[in-house]
Amino acid sequence: MADHDHKPAPMVDEVSDFEILELAVRELAIEKGLFSAEDHRVWTEYVHTLGPLPAARLVAKAWLDPEYKKLCEEDGVEASKAVGIDWVMTPPTHFGTPSDYCNLRVLVDTPKLKHVVVCTLCSCYPRPILGQSPEWYRTPNYRRRLVRWPRQVLSEFGMQLPEDVEVRVADSNQKTRYIVMPVRPEGTEGWTEDQLAEIVTRDCLIGVALPKPGITSNAKRPVLKAKNPVHHDH
Amino acid sequence: MSRVEHDRTHHAKIATGVGDPQCFKGKAGKAKFKVGDRVRVKDRPDIFYTRTMTYVRGAVGTIVRAVYESPPAEDEAWDNTDNVVWFYSIVFSQRDLWPEYHEVYGGDTLETEIPEMYLEKA
Repeated sequence: MADHDHKPAPMVDEVSDFEILELAVRELAIEKGLFSAEDHRVWTEYVHTLGPLPAARLVAKAWLDPEYKKLCEEDGVEASKAVGIDWVMTPPTHFGTPSDYCNLRVLVDTPKLKHVVVCTLCSCYPRPILGQSPEWYRTPNYRRRLVRWPRQVLSEFGMQLPEDVEVRVADSNQKTRYIVMPVRPEGTEGWTEDQLAEIVTRDCLIGVALPKPGITSNAKRPVLKAKNPVHHDH
Repeated sequence: MSRVEHDRTHHAKIATGVGDPQCFKGKAGKAKFKVGDRVRVKDRPDIFYTRTMTYVRGAVGTIVRAVYESPPAEDEAWDNTDNVVWFYSIVFSQRDLWPEYHEVYGGDTLETEIPEMYLEKA
């Protein structure tokens, strides 16, 4: 009845149900010979080397080289090789990653078209070229709302788009993974590839932010209190 | 009862050094649809698993690219790779997906991929 009757959330580190499930599935897979414990170690180490820098580099290169930009549009997997990512051979499996596959598409923005990426079904994300997805990308909140109210969600990220700019949501529901190539911003004339790559942040590559001279990191997510918070009675 | 031994590393064997979906290239036959075709997403029944979202079912969109060939996830979830089909990237008008989507933003779109067996000519 009264709020103070709530048991406090446990403060100890606990293993979640999902972690237990992962452990159980992993041990079964090793037992059945799908992969070895050594494979798993190698894989984990590979995953920790990943980040958004190759994708940022790809965009910067494309801004400077129209031929390369065309290749990015036509064949993202081939274009990735120029920034050191072979979608097939870079992962230790040599057949891509178990959930990312080998089919990158680069969604090229124009002044009248803005792309933004989501995976409504789970959390598909172009990890080989962009690293691990941010926590908010995996939340049901982002996944459910972005497809239906993209402009509202983008405005929560600080992006207000005029009516005459088409918003195109890409829902990565199958084997293609997407990155967004934003429009090169004003004020970057004469910049080098290194300088340009610095302003292409992870958020720009997902499509929830626009590159801006001087901005080289992702904006802090606002934490909004729930209007109708859930009350537990246990 | 005799039991057929199933090779659980079958997928790894065909995809190693080649990639997935590349390893299924050329196995789906002729694509039924082409870029520019208007198609409707069928509301097929699925047993336990699907990657064809409820929100696109029944909606009409335009094919913008035949992306690759692959077994549909609905089969692949059960390690069945026998039936390779074409996948298409389809652009929908947001107004056709969500009844309340405002006409002011009538140009807004959503792009996603659907396997061929879910599509019919609109």
